Amino acid sequence: MRSLTTLLLAALLAACGKSPATGPSLTLAVNAGVEGTALKMAAREWGRQTGTRIAVVELPYNNLFEKLLMDLISRTGSYDVVMMDDPWFPKLVEGGNLAPLPQDPDNDFIKTCLDVCRHPYQVGKYYAMPYVGNSQLFFYRQDLFDKHQLPPPGTWEQVLNAAKTIQAKEKMFGYVARAAPGNAVVTDFMAILWAFGGAILNADGDPAVDSDDSIAALRFMIELGKYSPPGYAGFNADEVSAHLLQGTAAMSINWPAWIAAMDDPARSKVAGKIAFAPVPSGKHPGQAELGAWLLGVPAGSKNSDKAFQFLTWVTAPDQMKTAALRGNPPTRRSVFQSPELKKKFRAFPAQFASLETAHPRPRTPLWNEIENVFGVYLSKANAGSMTPEDALKKAQDEIDDILRRGQ
Amino acid sequence: MSKRLPWIAPAMFLLLALSIYPLLYSLKLGLKPAYFARMAQDHLFHIALGQTLLFTGVALTGEFLLGLALALLVQDLTQTSRTNPSPKPPIAQNRDCLRGSTASAERRWLSRFAQRRSTEAKNPRYLRAALLTPMLLPPVVAAVTWRLIFNPQFGVLNGTLKSLGVDTANLTWTNGESSALLCVILVDIWEWTPFLFLLLSAGLQSIPQEPLEAAKVDGATWWQTTRDITLPLLKPVILLSLLLRSMDLMRIFDQIFILTQGGPGSATETVSLYIYRTAFRFSNFGYAAALSFVMLAITTLMARSLMKVMRIK
Repeated sequence: MRSLTTLLLAALLAACGKSPATGPSLTLAVNAGVEGTALKMAAREWGRQTGTRIAVVELPYNNLFEKLLMDLISRTGSYDVVMMDDPWFPKLVEGGNLAPLPQDPDNDFIKTCLDVCRHPYQVGKYYAMPYVGNSQLFFYRQDLFDKHQLPPPGTWEQVLNAAKTIQAKEKMFGYVARAAPGNAVVTDFMAILWAFGGAILNADGDPAVDSDDSIAALRFMIELGKYSPPGYAGFNADEVSAHLLQGTAAMSINWPAWIAAMDDPARSKVAGKIAFAPVPSGKHPGQAELGAWLLGVPAGSKNSDKAFQFLTWVTAPDQMKTAALRGNPPTRRSVFQSPELKKKFRAFPAQFASLETAHPRPRTPLWNEIENVFGVYLSKANAGSMTPEDALKKAQDEIDDILRRGQ
Repeated sequence: MSKRLPWIAPAMFLLLALSIYPLLYSLKLGLKPAYFARMAQDHLFHIALGQTLLFTGVALTGEFLLGLALALLVQDLTQTSRTNPSPKPPIAQNRDCLRGSTASAERRWLSRFAQRRSTEAKNPRYLRAALLTPMLLPPVVAAVTWRLIFNPQFGVLNGTLKSLGVDTANLTWTNGESSALLCVILVDIWEWTPFLFLLLSAGLQSIPQEPLEAAKVDGATWWQTTRDITLPLLKPVILLSLLLRSMDLMRIFDQIFILTQGGPGSATETVSLYIYRTAFRFSNFGYAAALSFVMLAITTLMARSLMKVMRIK
């Protein structure tokens, strides 16, 4: 009898053509990738729990930024929750286009991740929650380091020596850099630049890429490039990772998203042989580039209450743990320290250490333009058609132009 | 007119809303002296423009010459297979008479000809289809495939060369600053030669046969016939195909975006890529609009001069 009633009820509901969730709906704009997939799954779960209809717009990395910018500037309110890569944040938050958080995030979040959610950087109000805690890691072949009795790569000098030794004694490349223009080469160079004491913008916000430290850093990158596969001036992340996975190169800077692949015997010839460490130091302690994914609510959203509820729920420790199991590095200390996860993800201690000291890209809305110009000259220097001095001098001039135009 | 107006009004409205209005708006956005002053000093734009012109020139020449050669070749094959029902062309008959060939030789010749004819009659059709394949692939798919082929360490190109004993250590193709532009040009030639082949083939099929036959009777060589009859008659089609292709080449985007993203350094940077970045990555729509207008002016100028040259000659 009971089952019959249920059946009737279900039929009635179906006849109405409406799902039980008839409350307000929530539209998310997410990155089409592992980060976005985890968020999408979480959102569906939350939708079921709260009776909210969930719509997800998945966009490839570059298009996501373009769409978000258009939506935020014109305040169309098409999206209620948006996923942002942290270097986009200064541009997207401009002009009050994101809604401030009703309450500040708690202290369990890692500080470097919280800092980039504030406008102005580090001191202002919060406009986003850190969702994915990405920062660069140093990948190296533990087995080869052991075999040749090399010290673990704590400094860039040690990296260079190890690259020389391994290239001489093994039939493989000592290192693999990525130096395709744009994001690729800039990202790879940043970790070296900071360790050498250089910077893109100085404390006053003026360009500083032609300083002696910056030139030394670029010279070092090119020196290391001699132990990289020829053609690395056109490499992106996939080429770099292919060299590691195939066992044709021994070290590289890489992102946590590739850790799983390295240990997957189906894709990797070096499963279990790669060690993960925070990026090496130079004259300054090593600092990885931060690449956090943030969640924010557009000022134009018509469902901002619901959206903020979802943000709080999805960044709470429980959900972040679930997201970590789905492949997203967390932004909470407690999740990094969870014994269960530590056991499952052997790179967690290195990721945690790297994230706690990570350095964000310059907090300027003009970053995309600066990165583009800087990347062209870095790539040229790595390809050998410009000297490091000339390349950085040119980059300095052009970044100067960009900043002057932008003001 | 007044009767037709209600029918064309929606189309006109759409045209106004989607084409004319954005055009005027972009004029308003882009036509500012400051942008042109900036353009004059914009190194990256100058590099991109130079490379776009070089790319267009080399690729267009390559595609045209290859396309024309293929079209003539396939046309020749088709014509042999399409000759009149009598198995021997008239000239061949005459020649045989002059030589005074014996009956058995005649028969042998006939059977050989019939054999050749039956295979050739089918071939051109398949040949055409096969030749068109690269063009039918979506450019993005083709570019991804080529990117894998060109990969210096894992690509099939260097792999093949290596197995042939070539030292591939420094053959970096799209990853090398000096070779990258050449590689993207080659990919474009591979992909778009079929387009020129198709147009020129159609053109060849539509030119009248009488002058060609007359030339044959007069004993003109293949080269003379082609140079003095076929090509002049084909001129309108050649002009059209060069125009279409050059305009397309000037705005090359997708293949390069996938293959090299403009790198290494700025080795394959083109104007379209630069405009795309300016507009959508740096959100500077005004400057991007100004750049687009300059591109439009250059393309128009190029097209006009091409038309002039073709008409005079």
